[in-house]
Formats: sequence, C-alpha cells, structure tokens
Amino acid sequence: MSTSASLEATRLLPRWLLATLTTVLVALVLIPVLYIVLASLNSDVGVASGEFWPSSWSLDSYSRIWRTADLSSGILNSLIVCAFTAVASAILGTTTAYVLVRYTFFGRLTILRGLVGLQSIPGTLMLLPVFVLFSSAGNYLGITVIGTRWGLFIAYLTFALPFSTWVMVTYLRGLPRELEEAARTEGASTIIILWKIIFPLSLPAIVVSGIFAFLLGWNDVLFASVLTRPETHTAAVALSILGSAQEGGALPVYSQTMAASLICALPVVLLYLTFQRYLVGGLTAGGVK
Amino acid sequence: MATLAPPEQKAPPQHVRRKGVTERQRPLWLLTPGGLLMTVVIVLPLILAVWISLIDLDQYTLRRWVEAPFIGLGNYVESFSSGLLNSIWISVSFAVLSTLATVPIGIAAALVTQNKYRGRGLVRAAFLIPYVLPSFVVASVWRTMLQPDGIVNAWLSKVGVDGGLWLSGPRSYWTLILVEIWAAWPFIYLMALAALQSVDHEVHEASAVDGATWWPKLTRVILPYLRGPVLLACLLATLNHINNFTLPFVLFGAPAPDDVNVMPMIVYVTSFQSLRFGLSAAMAVLSLVLIAIPLFVYLRAVRLDVHEEGGRK
Repeated sequence: MSTSASLEATRLLPRWLLATLTTVLVALVLIPVLYIVLASLNSDVGVASGEFWPSSWSLDSYSRIWRTADLSSGILNSLIVCAFTAVASAILGTTTAYVLVRYTFFGRLTILRGLVGLQSIPGTLMLLPVFVLFSSAGNYLGITVIGTRWGLFIAYLTFALPFSTWVMVTYLRGLPRELEEAARTEGASTIIILWKIIFPLSLPAIVVSGIFAFLLGWNDVLFASVLTRPETHTAAVALSILGSAQEGGALPVYSQTMAASLICALPVVLLYLTFQRYLVGGLTAGGVK
Repeated sequence: MATLAPPEQKAPPQHVRRKGVTERQRPLWLLTPGGLLMTVVIVLPLILAVWISLIDLDQYTLRRWVEAPFIGLGNYVESFSSGLLNSIWISVSFAVLSTLATVPIGIAAALVTQNKYRGRGLVRAAFLIPYVLPSFVVASVWRTMLQPDGIVNAWLSKVGVDGGLWLSGPRSYWTLILVEIWAAWPFIYLMALAALQSVDHEVHEASAVDGATWWPKLTRVILPYLRGPVLLACLLATLNHINNFTLPFVLFGAPAPDDVNVMPMIVYVTSFQSLRFGLSAAMAVLSLVLIAIPLFVYLRAVRLDVHEEGGRK
C-alpha cells in the first residue's frame, strides 16, 4: 500500500494525459520507422507512387541494392576506418585523461577547457584547411593522404579524441587512487599501472568512448565526401550519392534506398541496444551525440 | 583547477599526490600522441584557415597554395556580398526555432517515462530511435517520404490537401526544421529525464501532502528543477543545429535551395563546388565568430556543472 502511495506521489501527469502524450510521441517516432521497413519490402515503383502498405511484398530491394550502389565496399571501408578509430581513440583518450586527472601541470586547465570547446568547432571550418594540408603532404612530401583510408582515420581520430578524453576524465575522477598508490610503491611503472589497473577498472567508460568514436566516423558525411576516392567511399557517402542520383532523372530506386538506409543503420542500432545502459549515461555526461 | 571541481573535493587528493609521486615522475609524455594529433589536424588547420581567408586561393592556385596572392580582408568584404548574411540569418533562425520546438516535446517525453509502468522500457527505447539513427539515414528516409509523389503527399491528398513541393522553394526551410525536430528532440528528452530523476522524493511527497493538483505541482514545483539542465541542453542543441551539415546536405543535395543555404552548406559549396577556397575560408572564420558566442556561454556554464555530471557517471 505504501509503495502505491509513493508511486502516486511521484506521478506528475494525470492518467489520460499520460496515455495521450505517450501514444502521440510513440506514433511520431514509429510511423516513419515502420515506413522504412515497409518501403524496403516494397518495389521501387510502389514506393515512388506513394504506397504505405506494399502492393507486392518482396526482399528484392535487399538483393539488388548491392549492385545499384557501391554499398558493400562502402560498409567495409566504414567498418575498417571506424573500428581503428574506436580502438585508437579509446586508448589515447584513456591515457590522456589519466594524466589530466592524476597530475597537475602548467596548461592543464586550458587542455580541459579545450576538450569541451573543440567538440563544437564546425567541421566545415576544418574541412578545407585539413584538405589543403593533406594534399600538401602529397605535393611536398610525396605521401598520399587524400583518398586513403588512413587519411580518413587520422581525421576521425583527431575529432573523436576530445570527446573520448572527456568521457574518460569524468570517469577517472571518480576512481579511487589507492590501488595505483599501492602499485606505485611496489615500483610499478606508469605503463604497467595503466595496463593492469586503469584499463580493467574503467572498461565500461572505455567502451563508451570507443563507441562514440566509432559513431562519429560512421555518421560522418562531410569529411568522407571530400577525403575519399570512389574506392574508399564510406557507407554514408554511398547512401548520399544514391539519394542525389535520383534527382538526375535516373530510374527511381526508392525502395532500395530504404533497404540501404536500414542496412547502414543496423550496426549503430545494434551497438546502442547492446550498450544502451552505458551509452545513455555517456550522452548526458558529455552532452554530444 | 578549482574552477573545474569544488575546492573541498580537490584539496585532499592533492595532498596525497605530493607524497606519492614526485614532480619528476609525472608521465607527461603520455600527452604527446594526442597533442601531436591535435596540433597537426586541429591547431595547424585553424591557423591555415585564417591564412587561406587572407589569400586569393582558387583551383588554379591550389597546387602551389603557398604562393597564392595575399589580398588582406578582400575575401571578408566579398563574403558579405555573396549571401553570407542571408545564410547567417537562415542558420540562426533555423537553430533557434528547432531548439524552441524540441524543448516542450523533450520535456513531455521525460514526464511520461518518469513513472514505472509495464512497457516503459519499450517506450524509452522507442524515444531513442530518432537519435540513434545516423543523420544521413534520417535525411535519406525523409527525402524519400517527401518526394512530390511520396507517402506524405499521398496521405495529404487523401484528406484533400495538395502537398506540393517539400524539397525545393520557400517551404524547404520548414522541411529542414521539421526533420531536425524529429531527429533532435530525444537529446532534450535525455537531459530532462536525467534532471527529473535527480529530483528528491521528498519534494514529490511534500507537494502531494499539500494536495496540489497536477498542473500547479508541475509548473511550480517540478519544472523549476529542470530549468538549469534544460537551458544547458538548449545551448548545446543550438550549437549542434548551427553546425549540422549532414541533414541539409543529404536532404536537399548540394548546392542547396536558397531557402536552406545554411552556413555549413554555403561554406562547403563555395569551397568544393565553386572552388573559391579563400572566400570559403573567410566565411568559415566568420561563422566561427558566430559560434563562439553561445560556445563561450556554454563553456562558462558547463564548468559549474562538471562536478555534478562527473559524479553521476
């Protein structure tokens, strides 16, 4: 009885309003999502003529999309670049955050403030000079960066690092330092302490910072559209090309576009579902997608 | 340092540290890889962006950009006659309207998932979907739905409304806002929910004992608790709206219609389609100045909240 009374105390909205709002909001989200699924099972012509329920159901779009767009190599490129970005960003973020949290030195505050500020630097401001710099590496030093996967990796890693580090800073602040102190008096080096103590203890946060780095790369269109060649296009570029190609009067491939959208969203959705609990905490702490 | 965490929190560990580790042992070299990357891919390009904005760089001078002619503030002057003011107005109004519209939706969503009920987990998962989907996927999907013969117009014609064009002409501006709202409200929802859950149970009980009905209780007791976190979220959301390149780019293609020529789009098109690199850099630098205002406010505000947020993790 007391639990129902306390439940009643925290109830903020009357039942009818609660039910109405929930229904409206869920419908707002789920109708477009349902449409993606239905349209991907429809035919291209069916979607082009504005059908919601397919007049003919088929998995055709899912098999044809691979020939229509360069999706398989796009997904492969995205996976390779983003996986490396995730791992490197999580490791570098952890070591950087460790130094920032555990030691004081000149410029520490500036770095911490920079970590937050850099997340809001517009990508369009960085794109041109990064492009000029990367192509200069080709012209003056003979190193090809533009159009390679690792050029994209360097760019993503750098832009992911401030957030990865920030996530680790907020986590490591709450970590007790007794274990480290003990290891330190036993004569353990910093590398050993990081590897044997910090990494295992902060695994949940490391996973979060890695996933955010992965998503930053996976969701990027801006840098990928300029820093890649057709062979190194990412999934995001492949999909956006598919969309704009239809303006050019080509045959409509709307159903295939929806299938491709679902395929591109799949890794992201799987990551979120698996790590939902951690990620929501990371979102509110860092305040960035 | 005291600005980042309350001093009483910081003082004791400092004391311990001085005993444990001497100054010489600080492993500052661990900062080098990150610092090197930041220097090469962020600091150098930022300086380069300012330099490029002062030279006449186009496709002919690009290969030997070091030798491009210096023209001082010429690009800045030209950017004002090339539609930058219009783009700034579109970007700012688009960002502010999107933020204003997402606040009530986000708070409402937080309120309806505050109390436990059967199926709440599913509702919460559903609320995250628009946020989880990559921007380029959201844009592709809405682009398909808003085609002249697409599903949106098909439904509108069923109720006797002529849908017309969504992706070009003056209405494209409202299309951009609507899609942005659809994709961005869960961010406000997450921040509002986190704030709502930190409201003490006693507060609820006290107002229940007072016999307050739901509306006064909500507006006078509960919503004031949300003001700070939601305002912070609004600042960040506005910055994200202003910087959003992917949504207009995939939704409308480049070059975008005049009515949705937001700052990221005009900077991108001036660089990589008109190939006027110097002009584009000037526009980008000016857009950074604009971003700097809310960013500065955010940086000041976030420092106060660092401790609370760090504690929550």
